[in-house]
Amino acid sequence: MGAALRIDPELCIECAKCIPYCPEDAIVPRNRQIVIDLDTCVECDTCLRASVCPTEAIKKTALEWPRSLRSVFSSVVAEHKESRVPGRGTEEMKTNDVTGRFRSGDVGLMIDVGRPGMGTIFADVERIAVAVGKIGVEFEPLNPVTFLMANKSTGELRDDVRMERVHSAIVEFKTSISKVPAVMEALEAVSKEVNTVFSVGAACRVESDGSVPLMATLKKMNLRYRPNGKVNVGLGRPLSNG
Amino acid sequence: MSAKGINDKASSEKLRKALRLAMKFDPVNVGDMKTGSMYSKNMDMQKILDGVKDSSIVHAVFSSFENASKYLKALKAENLGLSVVVSGLFDKVFDMAQQNGLRPHTASLSLGCFGRTDLLPEVLPVTTMCGHHQVPPRLVRKLASQVRNGLMSAEQAGKELSSLCVCGVFNPVRAAEYVELLAEGASVTIADDVGSFSGPSPRETSPKL
Repeated sequence: MGAALRIDPELCIECAKCIPYCPEDAIVPRNRQIVIDLDTCVECDTCLRASVCPTEAIKKTALEWPRSLRSVFSSVVAEHKESRVPGRGTEEMKTNDVTGRFRSGDVGLMIDVGRPGMGTIFADVERIAVAVGKIGVEFEPLNPVTFLMANKSTGELRDDVRMERVHSAIVEFKTSISKVPAVMEALEAVSKEVNTVFSVGAACRVESDGSVPLMATLKKMNLRYRPNGKVNVGLGRPLSNG
Repeated sequence: MSAKGINDKASSEKLRKALRLAMKFDPVNVGDMKTGSMYSKNMDMQKILDGVKDSSIVHAVFSSFENASKYLKALKAENLGLSVVVSGLFDKVFDMAQQNGLRPHTASLSLGCFGRTDLLPEVLPVTTMCGHHQVPPRLVRKLASQVRNGLMSAEQAGKELSSLCVCGVFNPVRAAEYVELLAEGASVTIADDVGSFSGPSPRETSPKL
């Protein structure tokens, strides 16, 4: 298994204060001790940051690959090495006014696997990536999950990551508005095959008349979307050369 | 936030300016994903400001439309050149942009949640205020129980839950309102299924505390 978060049994006084602070319910009483279930633990460090242990019995040790993936995807402060973005590891639409990642007519889909609050193993992330890969989408090159793909056309992941568990991981890709119905059908089918939840986000440019073309497409499909969301308000710009 | 490889170089000072500016408009939470929020344990605003890096993503949360709009106006005037994303009801956000002479660039819609939705906890309106799942459902239920038994106030519970959300996007005021409802035995659930193929709705019975 390698190094991981653990509770030092010499220091632990079994007060159980830490138990409710684990978002994955990985801290459990077992054999008259309080332990971290390493299969469930996603190395997010929330238990450490909570600072509730009166004896500082929770210890963090250096993680080895592939377990280190858990921390990178689950600890908010960890920066993904390839994208240099903390948290989700991808800028998505948040900097689209600067990057131009999604242009007019594009739709950026973000399939947040394990969210909200269930966690996921990468095997389920792969199921979803492969399902949309069959439609011929373009996986986002700067997304951390894309970096784990053995085949960036099909969405298949590397063998050594499939059983690692994380809070969530985002399958991110670009497609055209016309392909959204096919994407949603593929997601409907694969939703029956995964043992977790996934949240679907879709980003698109706001037209000059203030309309959001994707909203009209979704209405035609009889697919609702939430009345709240995120809006990039267009204040960003690239640095000048001067 | 800055865009990596495009305008991130030396953006830390601009991000610090954005945080200092936010404090003028009475936010209910602020933070930096790299360091922590104003409610994080062993943290204060100076530590947050000192810890800002070019790769930081800073947040500010407001409980009033007016304060959020004033902040947006101030950000526009400051002309930092960094991307700003406003989260909220689309109607309100578009109104806010129009009020401040801004043309929204990109929108991100939520099409809902799919898969094993039957396994989702009841307290999602609280826990999902942290987008990184740092706020445990079990802790929400525990603190609601403590509020019900008079061991802590709902406000204290809201702040304790906020302490786990590193980036500062969690709203402690709203959390306190939800915890108060839970303490009174009411249920808090997601409103409406979204999507044509979502699973069973989260239970609508009162959660056991």
